[in-house]
This record gives sequence, structure tokens and C-alpha cells, in this order.
Amino acid sequence: MMGKGRVSVGERKLVYEEVSEGDEGPARSHTLTRTDLVRYAGASGDFNPMHHDEVKAKAAGQPSVFGHGMFSMGLLGTAITDFVGVGNLTRYKVRFARQTWPDEELTTKVVVSGKRVEDGRHLVDLDVRLVNQDGEEKVVGEATAEVPSRS
Amino acid sequence: MSADASVDKELLESIIGQPTGRSTVVVERGPVSFFADAVVDPNPIYKDPAAAQAAGLPAIPAPPTFPIAMEAWGKFAELQPEDAPSGSPLLKILGPLMAKGGLILHGEEEFIYHRPVLVGDQLVGDGKVVDAYRKESKGKTMTFVVTETTWVDAKTGDPVVTARFNVIHRA
Repeated sequence: MMGKGRVSVGERKLVYEEVSEGDEGPARSHTLTRTDLVRYAGASGDFNPMHHDEVKAKAAGQPSVFGHGMFSMGLLGTAITDFVGVGNLTRYKVRFARQTWPDEELTTKVVVSGKRVEDGRHLVDLDVRLVNQDGEEKVVGEATAEVPSRS
Repeated sequence: MSADASVDKELLESIIGQPTGRSTVVVERGPVSFFADAVVDPNPIYKDPAAAQAAGLPAIPAPPTFPIAMEAWGKFAELQPEDAPSGSPLLKILGPLMAKGGLILHGEEEFIYHRPVLVGDQLVGDGKVVDAYRKESKGKTMTFVVTETTWVDAKTGDPVVTARFNVIHRA
């Protein structure tokens, strides 16, 4: 059973009763390349030259091109759906704390911050973040997934 | 507050509630597959209808941040309603600011999912400005504009995903 308007099934990864606060999803690490940014520009339609045109980025006072915020959110989203299963998110929100730069190693951190039953829906809340190799936070946010229950 | 700043405040507040437009989009398999590659997601569920079905989904799903790309890839001219609200309240604010320099940054993004976005969906999105304000931070002037777009299933009218976008001009 699911709430009104929800497709009742997604990829089964977590079972509500087996999830505890503090549980962590598998971390993903990715070293950002300029090719990633070009691919993301095409895939998203965001052709802001700050993300692919080194000449224009430098002219604008930036040390180089920098990553799309939405690339970071997308990469972190990959780690989240790996953990909770595709099709189960009910909410995903982030703040873009810092720009990302080519050659940075970006690592995801997905931690269960709580769980609750609301209108018969079994919900798992997550703290999510993307950090670089020095622990600098790039993206900080939260997500909620509806997961199956044994009951 | 200087005279300029109060004028700015009025201009900023004038765009709150204004529509950012209506779009009808089609969610297609190719763009979804390419988007999954772009966010470094190798899950076969984004490529293979059998993998999606095995997971219990009626069609290939889109990655959670795909709504940001829907207008770029699936907004075909013949599907757009002629009476759609138009205009760009964002440009009204950000256009003149950009003309004087500075940088456009993405501040926050939020998606609320009512059901997964699926290949084959036709969705109608209605956007509006929900907030606009200015802050001084670390010697920089930050102008924030927040929009909210609600996407519904074109066939049923049921909500699918709501996207909140917070964009910053920093100068």
C-alpha cells in the first residue's frame, strides 16, 4: 500500500524494519574531469560556458571551468538510489555549498537520520553530502525514501 | 538602506507570484539513458526495459535529477499550448544584473516526488516565482530568485514531481 498518487513499487533495496539511524549507504568516489562537464552539459541542456569554456571562465575571474551544481546533485543522487532503490525517493533537496573543480575527488556520504511511518507509508530520512578529498563540503542536503515493510 | 536598494527591493518583490511559463514535455528513452551516463550511474534500470520491469516499474525510470533536463530534451513545439503563460520574470531581474557582470550560481535545488518519472510520460509543468530577495555576504551582493515548477501527468492530471530552483546572482 502506498499513499495517494504513488506508484507502489520501486527497486527493492531496503526493508523498513532492517534500517537503523546511523546506517550508511555505500560511498561512491569520482574524480571530476572536463569531459564529465561536457557530457553533463549535453545531457542536461545547461550550456553555461562557465562549465565547459576555459577561456570564458578565466575571463570571468574563475581559475578554470567548474562543475554544474546539478552534476554534483546527480552524482550524489546515484549514491542515494544505490542505497534506497530507484523509484522510491519522495524528496531530495540540496544546497550547493561550494563550486567543484576538475581533478577533485568527490565522495558521497549517505547516512540514515531517522525513520517514521506516516499515513501508512514507511519513510526513511537521509542526510546526504558530497565532499572532496580534503573533506570540503560541496553539496549538503537531505532525502526521504519510501521503502517496503515486512508488515 | 540606500534609495537604490529600496527600488531593487520593490523590483524583486514585483516578480514574486509571476508565472515562469508552462511546458509540455515528453520523457524519452535516449535522453534518460544519456542522462544516467552523465551522472555516472551504471544501473541497468535506466537502459533496459527488462531491468525496470524486474524492479517492479512499469517502464524505464528517469534518474532523480532528470527533471532539470526535461525541457531541454522533450519540449517539442507542437505540444506547447498556445495560451500558455509566457514571460521571464527571472530575466527581468537577472538580465540587467548580468549586464553589469557577476556570476550566476545555483543555490539550492529540491525535488518532491509523487511518483517516479518514467520513459513514455507526457508531463505538463507550470512554473512560478515563489521568492526573490537580496543579501550581502562576505562583501558580495547576492540576489536570490526561487522558482517552483509543478509537473503533472498530461493524461491523468496527477502530480508527478515538484521542482524548486534557487538561483543566485553574485557580484
